[in-house]
Amino acid sequence: MTLLRSFWLWLVAFAVVLAIAVAVNPSAPSNSTRIAHLESLVKCPACEDLSVAESNATSAIAVRHEITQDVGSGMSDNKILTTIEAQYGPQILLSPSTSGLGALLWVVPIAALVVLIAALLRLARRRRA
Amino acid sequence: MTLTWLGRAFLYVAFAGAVGGMLTQVRAVLTKKKAPALLFALWSLLGVLGAVGVMQFALITHNFSLAYVSANNATFTPLLYSITGMWSALEGSLLLWSLLLALVTIGVLWYYRSDASDAVVQWASVVLFSVAAFFLGLMMFPADPFLHNPAHVLQGAGPNALLQDNPLVAVHPPLLYLGFVGFTVPFAFAIAMLITGRVHDRWPLEQRRWTVLSWGALSLGIILGAWWSYQVLGWGGFWGWDPVENAALLPWLTATAYIHSVIVQDRRGLFRVWNLSLAIATFSLTVLGTFFTRSGVLESVHSFSSSTLGPLLIGLFFFSVAVGVGLLAWRGDALRSPVGVDHPLSREGLFVANNVLFVGFAIVVLLGTVFPLLYEAVNGNQVTVGTPYFATIAAPLSVLLLLMMALAPLVSWRSADAGVLWNRLRVSAWAALLVAGILVALGVRHPAVLIACFLAALAAGAALRTLRGVIVSARRRGHLASAFRAPSTGGMIVHLGIVILAIGIVVSTSYTKRDEITLATGQSTVVDSQFVTFAGFHQVKDSLEEATQLKVVVDGHSLRPAVTTFNGRDTTVGTPAIDSNLLRDVYVTFDAVGGNGETSGAQVQSNLPAGSVVLGVTVEPLLSWLWIGGLVVGLGSGISFLRRRYVEDPQ
Amino acid sequence: MKRVVMLISLGIFVVIIVFSVFLGTRQPVTDATDANSPLLGKIAPSFSGSTLGGGHWSLRAERGDVVVINFWASWCEPCKVEAPNLSTFAYQERNRGVAVIGVVFNDTVAGAKAFDAYYGSLYPSIVDPGGAIANDYGVESPPTTFVLNKKGRVEATLLGAVSVAQLQAVVKRVRE
Repeated sequence: MTLLRSFWLWLVAFAVVLAIAVAVNPSAPSNSTRIAHLESLVKCPACEDLSVAESNATSAIAVRHEITQDVGSGMSDNKILTTIEAQYGPQILLSPSTSGLGALLWVVPIAALVVLIAALLRLARRRRA
Repeated sequence: MTLTWLGRAFLYVAFAGAVGGMLTQVRAVLTKKKAPALLFALWSLLGVLGAVGVMQFALITHNFSLAYVSANNATFTPLLYSITGMWSALEGSLLLWSLLLALVTIGVLWYYRSDASDAVVQWASVVLFSVAAFFLGLMMFPADPFLHNPAHVLQGAGPNALLQDNPLVAVHPPLLYLGFVGFTVPFAFAIAMLITGRVHDRWPLEQRRWTVLSWGALSLGIILGAWWSYQVLGWGGFWGWDPVENAALLPWLTATAYIHSVIVQDRRGLFRVWNLSLAIATFSLTVLGTFFTRSGVLESVHSFSSSTLGPLLIGLFFFSVAVGVGLLAWRGDALRSPVGVDHPLSREGLFVANNVLFVGFAIVVLLGTVFPLLYEAVNGNQVTVGTPYFATIAAPLSVLLLLMMALAPLVSWRSADAGVLWNRLRVSAWAALLVAGILVALGVRHPAVLIACFLAALAAGAALRTLRGVIVSARRRGHLASAFRAPSTGGMIVHLGIVILAIGIVVSTSYTKRDEITLATGQSTVVDSQFVTFAGFHQVKDSLEEATQLKVVVDGHSLRPAVTTFNGRDTTVGTPAIDSNLLRDVYVTFDAVGGNGETSGAQVQSNLPAGSVVLGVTVEPLLSWLWIGGLVVGLGSGISFLRRRYVEDPQ
Repeated sequence: MKRVVMLISLGIFVVIIVFSVFLGTRQPVTDATDANSPLLGKIAPSFSGSTLGGGHWSLRAERGDVVVINFWASWCEPCKVEAPNLSTFAYQERNRGVAVIGVVFNDTVAGAKAFDAYYGSLYPSIVDPGGAIANDYGVESPPTTFVLNKKGRVEATLLGAVSVAQLQAVVKRVRE
């Protein structure tokens, strides 16, 4: 078997595994996954930097109840987070909102990514020259 | 008062030694003569040893005439925690730093004693002595460990509760500091190389050895810190992206880049500027990290604080970076390598990507750490940058780094031949696909878990293949033992350790299940297929502490989660209990007690019947893989440190 | 090529200078932090009880005054730091419509009384049997301080040892 053919064989097997992974999904995303995810994004009001998922402070438990209620009543993730932020202030979120100065937190990594790609392209071009 | 003056005297002696060493070396290198650097290093070391001796004596004998001792020690503090008390607070930790720096300095100078008249070694000694003088100077003025306590107190406050609960306090800080201090050496030599202009002879490669040692110590220190947090802090977590944790991660990232990047300089003479910059960056980040830990500008579970130390440490940071950048700019074009990278997907190309990934990672972590300060300065409000942000950044970066680990050892130098690569990759690729297939068949659908395990298997494959090659060629030469000291052996073992670590992190964080259960005495329940029984209370009282322990049985093993009050400090901490095996960890905390049960400080919930307790139970699969992986990483770096000298490489 | 190197170095220099100056001028965190309690903006739960000195105290009776409620314990390190500050502040404001009340958190009466006597508190502290008041206010760990406006609404929650200056600033804001 040539190298190329062995590669294609492997690629086909890979595609099969990928297809099964994507198509045959034993457990559908549930409310509890959403709740757990939201809980990891909100800081426990009485703690330094623990999320409400990790803390057992009464205030954390209160926020967890609130999140559970909101998810149950059909609010979107974004709406839930903005409501909690309005109630407790911006520092309640463990990841600052992307508007305003917070955008810097995402702009820099993306800019760094662009630099990386540009550097690699330049390297490739220099070789061809 | 005697101890105060004695301790201070030793510090002055040590300082004089460091300054003397610095001055004589400068004069020696400028007049092209030789000067006894070793002597001054010894002089300084003896001074520091004396100071450490005085402090240890005061701690062990509970001598409260020193303010530091009365704040961190008590008459009933056990010997181990008296000794470790030296580094449980600011001033004493500087003593530990100076001790390690003095030891490292004398070690390095002794190792290069036959090169003592080489200008590079001389300039490096100047830098080492200067840094030592700086930290000693800090102790002589703003952070005096030997401050006298005028009040004749009969009892000290004892160590912080969290620092007398776990013997890891004897290992985690010293290892961490050894790592930090160790990075002074490549920095010193980088500065020396820039000053003398000798940037590509044996010196860059020599530095790799010291960097590997420091890197290994730092890695172990960080892993042990995570292990300690896990055992003690109460929520089953092991890393919080805390400013001080990040402070240790930053130099680790650039040091990892450096260790890899120097391989390319070894093989092809490339990346001279990269390597010098990385060495300078790593040391500067160490200083910056010290600043975050000691200045108090960022709140953290770790920070000591003092407002005068901040500006001084930032001054050192700025000075190191400025000198480094200035020298690089001055030497400028003379540093350029004669050859370039031939192909972006050759091994050199992948190392470029590797450098960029690690440096990028460091920049983003630094940004996230400093961002709250920036936000407060601009907006006046406080904001938190926590795990969600850092995890979102770390995840794709980690995936790319795993990919690097999977490909780079198999890719050729100078060229990128897809056929050759596939030939080398085949076995690992099928093995990785098998792993992924089994996971998919078992019902695993978390993309993070599938991707990470697939790539981890690929990376393990690459490492194992390389190791096999080393062993085969050693056997062919008739000298199997030489495989141990071959160039890539240690590194590949470290890669295997990282693979184990990565799987542990991804699986445990994706499949953690937390629950709070209420149990009456004798009652049992099942949490995530773990059988948990509450068997009753147990009171403990000794000279050091008073604790209410709960007798809990998990899967047949006995655990004692507790709430403990330490004498002296009068603080109450929850002490979690962990049942650990290869497959999963069960983490149990004593959260509350019902009725008005007598406890040594546990939270009371009056709406529960007396005699029942609320337990926090967290089940984390594969968590022990983190510690196993860390051990393998430490082992691998030790082997890498023992790599045969570069001049002995078969050509 | 030389110019590019110079420019990049200069650029890095500038960034490092700005960065270092910025960090070097930050103040260490010493004051109590503003916590975000679910009680903010709501009417404070009412409570009453016997004080350590043997008297009686009720929140309802303080309507019309700014009230500073400080949860403390004798085993709490930062409480020792802030005790003299609270007394100083209480004494300064005693005739200016500000009432300071301490609430003992998860402590023995003997221990609390000893602490109170040792620090010579110039404000009363009430006992909280069963932690009911602490529970109502959602207090996790001492010291936690609540500042109520004249109508009894919670206007500020502070976690950690408070300083006199901080109390003065907060009360000034609340009074308006």
